[in-house]
Amino acid sequence: MNSKLYPFFVGLVFVLLSYGTYQGLVAAPPVEELAAGGEAQRIFYYHVPAAIVSYTLFALNFLASLIYLWKRSSAADAFAVATAEVGVVFASVTLALGMIWARYAWGHWWAWDMRLTTFLILWLLYVSYLVLRRAAEAGSSAVMAAALAVIIFLDVPFNYMANRWFRGNHPEPVTLQSPALKYALFANMIAFVAFGAVIVWFRYALERVEQRVAAIHAQRAAQGAFSLALPAMFFFQNSHGNPIHYTYAGYTVAWVIYIGYLVLLTRKVAKLKREEQELRRSADR
Amino acid sequence: MSSSVLKLTAVNLTKDLRLEWRSRDVFNSMLFFAVLVVVIFSFSFEPTSEEARRIAGGLFWVAFLFSTVVALNQSWARELRNGVLDAYRISPSPPEALFFGKCLGNFVFVTALECLMVPLFVLFYNLSSAGSLWQLLLVLALGTWALVITGTFFAVMSIRTRNRELMLPLLLIPLSIPAVVNMVGATTNILTADSSPVPQIKFLAVYCVVFTTACFLLFETVLNAE
Repeated sequence: MNSKLYPFFVGLVFVLLSYGTYQGLVAAPPVEELAAGGEAQRIFYYHVPAAIVSYTLFALNFLASLIYLWKRSSAADAFAVATAEVGVVFASVTLALGMIWARYAWGHWWAWDMRLTTFLILWLLYVSYLVLRRAAEAGSSAVMAAALAVIIFLDVPFNYMANRWFRGNHPEPVTLQSPALKYALFANMIAFVAFGAVIVWFRYALERVEQRVAAIHAQRAAQGAFSLALPAMFFFQNSHGNPIHYTYAGYTVAWVIYIGYLVLLTRKVAKLKREEQELRRSADR
Repeated sequence: MSSSVLKLTAVNLTKDLRLEWRSRDVFNSMLFFAVLVVVIFSFSFEPTSEEARRIAGGLFWVAFLFSTVVALNQSWARELRNGVLDAYRISPSPPEALFFGKCLGNFVFVTALECLMVPLFVLFYNLSSAGSLWQLLLVLALGTWALVITGTFFAVMSIRTRNRELMLPLLLIPLSIPAVVNMVGATTNILTADSSPVPQIKFLAVYCVVFTTACFLLFETVLNAE
């Protein structure tokens, strides 16, 4: 990283996330209401912050794309890539956690509820954005992606209107009666925003390096294609097992997705470094 | 829009229609594809007349979405041969005229397809509409335009990617979900006459206006993307 502050921020995020996880998993008092999922309600402390971070990143992606179309600055393009990609990762976490919670609280993984449907479509839209970026010819990729980002953003309100007539299963955040619950959510919210910012920062710097290396490459294999090695029993057992197991599963899945993404980024760094050395060597010759 | 843009649009449109009239590449493959989709759906569901009314809207628009993708892919692929698209880019003719001409051409093809397919649907599924016919026509026109305008825009993007034909559905389908939901909803409401299709028709009209504007504004950028 260019900045000396980066390790400091990474350390800070690590502390914040540990504290948030401790708050969510242990310190926050259990919610008694059965509809909220009992102990599985703790998934909420990861689910909601991840959702909010992904919404924020998608909005930033739109702004960066507009700036790119206007100014054609490669920095704006790099920022658009970073926000879209990290946004998709956080949205995947939101979806996965929501499904695990639903399996316990509703007894099935998915319902065609308004919020679930619109969020799924939002996720699909930004995945298609990433697919376009990967497939577009090198020179035109940034402009086309920026145009697509604008169109996608216009689609979002229609998406919400079109699905408004779905009946709502998704609980409203009524579980925030006590200050202790609010505090746990707040701690996680801060931790996740900081976490998202650090990953975007990292991804942005990486994209800048990549722009400089400016080589056309078949990029990493499609992300999001990780299979979760949860025991088969978990998928087929009847609902209403131990709710805390659902929370553990949810937190684990969140970290599998985050770490999987970070591993992909690390591999990208290694690849870029190797390439940089090769370029240097060939320049020396 | 100035008269020269309209004139050039007409030139582009007549060229596309004449090419299509002589070769019938797009139309034949699109028509056959849509017939196959209808047939395979009727094998898969075997609906009774009452069920057919409820599901026909969905089947109908899914068949059209897929056939539109087939048509749109070919409409720009034609311009790639002999570097025609590059010639467009260096010509002084306004890009809006090219885009508008293409959209109108595709609209004509898909509408012609619908005129052939609707009777087929009625035959295969024993359909009879409980609602009014003119509303159905309005939904067909708006729905087709909604698919054609975004589809033509994404098709010009996707021909410039490595996996050309594959890219268009990947871009078009997620984006058109809100429109498709309302096309299907409106069609089903008209066929069953259970509730009013007017909110969905309004939705489609707004959707068409917004995306037509956005695609027109962004087309030049995408065409000249380097």
